[in-house]
Amino acid sequence: MAEERPGSWFGFGFCGFGQALGSGRGRQVLSPEPLRVPDAGTDICDIGSLSAAWSYTAIVSSAGRLLLSGSARGAADGCRDAWASETLRAVLRDGPGGPGPGAELQAWAPGAALRGEPLWARPAGPEEAGREDDGAACETRAGPLPLLPGARAHLSPRPPLCRPLCPALRARRLALGAEHALLLDAAGQVLSWGGGRHGQLGHGTLEAEPAPRLLEALQGLRVAAVAAGGWHSVCVGAPALKEDGAGLKGPAGPEDAAAAPFIAVQPFPALLDLPLGADAAAASCGSRHTAVVTRTGELYTWGWGKYGQLGHGDTASRDRPRRVQCFVREQLRVTAVSCGPWNTYVRAVEPGRS
Amino acid sequence: MAEDGNRDAPAAGLGALWGALRALLPRTKEELRLDLGESVERSVVLLLQQAADLFYGGRRSECLQTSEVVLDYSWEKLNTGLWQDVDKDWRRVYAFGCLLKAVCLCEAPGDATTVAAALRVCDMGLLMGAAIFDDILIKVAAVLQAHLLPGKRPAHIPAPEQPCLKKARNSHVSIPDLRSERAVPRLRCPSLQHFRKHHLVPQTPVILEGVADHWPCMKKWSLEYIQEVAGCRTVPVEVGSRYTDEEWSQRLMTVSEFIDSYVLNEPRDVGYLAQHQLFDQIPELKQDISIPDYCCLGDGEEEEITINAWFGPPGTVSPLHQDPQQNFLAQVLGRKYIRLYSPQESEAVYPHDTHLLHNTSQVRPCGIAAPRPPAVRRPGTDLCLCRWTWRIPTWRGSPGSPRPRSCPASCARESCCSSPRSTGTTCGPWT
Repeated sequence: MAEERPGSWFGFGFCGFGQALGSGRGRQVLSPEPLRVPDAGTDICDIGSLSAAWSYTAIVSSAGRLLLSGSARGAADGCRDAWASETLRAVLRDGPGGPGPGAELQAWAPGAALRGEPLWARPAGPEEAGREDDGAACETRAGPLPLLPGARAHLSPRPPLCRPLCPALRARRLALGAEHALLLDAAGQVLSWGGGRHGQLGHGTLEAEPAPRLLEALQGLRVAAVAAGGWHSVCVGAPALKEDGAGLKGPAGPEDAAAAPFIAVQPFPALLDLPLGADAAAASCGSRHTAVVTRTGELYTWGWGKYGQLGHGDTASRDRPRRVQCFVREQLRVTAVSCGPWNTYVRAVEPGRS
Repeated sequence: MAEDGNRDAPAAGLGALWGALRALLPRTKEELRLDLGESVERSVVLLLQQAADLFYGGRRSECLQTSEVVLDYSWEKLNTGLWQDVDKDWRRVYAFGCLLKAVCLCEAPGDATTVAAALRVCDMGLLMGAAIFDDILIKVAAVLQAHLLPGKRPAHIPAPEQPCLKKARNSHVSIPDLRSERAVPRLRCPSLQHFRKHHLVPQTPVILEGVADHWPCMKKWSLEYIQEVAGCRTVPVEVGSRYTDEEWSQRLMTVSEFIDSYVLNEPRDVGYLAQHQLFDQIPELKQDISIPDYCCLGDGEEEEITINAWFGPPGTVSPLHQDPQQNFLAQVLGRKYIRLYSPQESEAVYPHDTHLLHNTSQVRPCGIAAPRPPAVRRPGTDLCLCRWTWRIPTWRGSPGSPRPRSCPASCARESCCSSPRSTGTTCGPWT
């Protein structure tokens, strides 16, 4: 395995609001470009977490500096994590004494530039305030937002902004789509609820589910990560359970290809094989596209590509995973991916000598 | 590709088109502003302002790009949640994007394909959007259509007599023998009081004759007429024998394409222009029909009446289903066989237990003795149906159909059923 070195961030896709993405100019970037953050004081190798909404991006450096770019601008110190949505921005901030006890979760209105009063604030438990180091799991996010610390509630872009979760669920990760939610519990089981008209819940019907319901099709498989797009869902299985090491992926929902004459709906999880038998390590979904990082450090993308969010240098949409050649060409190893609704951010390192 | 050979000076013609379109829009960018509520995010409002600035600043290609972003983002909002819960402001944003895109497409000299594309964008705004700037999209569509007509008629339109000589497509499409079944009673122009007392209040169906005789559609409508008035307009079409089948889908196409592919030329698949508010989209057709006086007897406002059109080839079959509103169905061309079952038979027809199809039966009635009488409706007759009566073939009234992302047909359906009453006007099947 390559030694861990600080990585560089790249971005591609929609940047019509001037959010930090490549050159920051123009409406879209079609191939991966190095991320340029507006604040000269931040080393772009030092990004701890990144969360992209449609019109702005929130970047938190490992030194705790939060930078907003796009339709929202501003900077603040003492931040641990951020979650960006079009209607709400959540920030996990250190307490007055620095990291540790006294950390606070704040929710801000989209227009506020982190000055004045937040919409609301609540204390974050000391055990959740620090970084959650997932090591090889390649999680982009330092903390589990939109899951609130303590996993008894989660954020929502629509009111009510803070929604309770049953503690018995033992939620570890939460992913929100346009009308549905995915929850990964401590046992590696997946639950889903919300609207189901596109089959995104994975229960085999088009019916909505008012409350978290276990995804029976994946029962018994230990899922390592979940990701939710606008109307589709992706689960990455822990490879230790599968003999061939392939990650189990369930895109339960339509793969939106703009040119497709027939929109397909997939209401059950379907195993998706990556080309060349690659193993999935992490996944992230945009509004209508999906990006997957493999264990060997490659990036595969598919789905809607009109704004270059697939990173293949064009605006074509694709319904099959395709490797982003740019990283292979530059001999970079991809370690993390985080998708905004119409763009994709990727962290990559130069592989160390073995 | 159809070229505008009829026009002597294409550049002047297109200059006239741009002038006509430009004249429909407000003079200043301040007037091209939508009053939007809280649900439309600030970033989108900024984008709309930017689009207007670009348009009035003459920066056409950038305006097109920005309009495209507006369209793509509002499209996602239109496809989130139930259609009836979609905030109307998002539909207005979508219509705004369609407006700017359609007009920008026509600024530079282009050919008939460009104008047809602009008209399609207009139609999308009419189908999925909500009215803005005093129904400006209807006016833009009329200008575009007028500009298209000389050069756009498809070269392969068949001779007028052909539909009548066409053989039945499937051998199993036969006219049922009604002698063994009870017929729906027929009345000739009953008074409002008689109709209310004997049918509306007791909720019994009836066929009314003579009510629609004087409607212009009875004389004017034909395949050629529809092609001429609406051929280049984009409409939602259902493809597949039944909406309960797996292969059933909805597609957008022009009326000409629909007629060519699914009505004439021995179509392979069943296509049906069903339950679409065609007359809101194409006002010229609305002038050919009237609203029966009997509609004033129902509870609800006149604005809440929705008018749908059904247009299809012979052999279209709708599964047994029920509608929550009172309906009038007017048959303009062709014949329809309808079988009705009373609401008391609801259990016997095995409705689906899903929310989407709860008004649709799982069984296909064949030789069951019908407690409610069936009817064959001939052209020129009006059928009144009370709510919750189960009825089969030939039209669909499914309030909860799934809404495929590319097609607005079920959107029209859901909005139709949120109103207390609907009037149906039917064309077809063609026999």
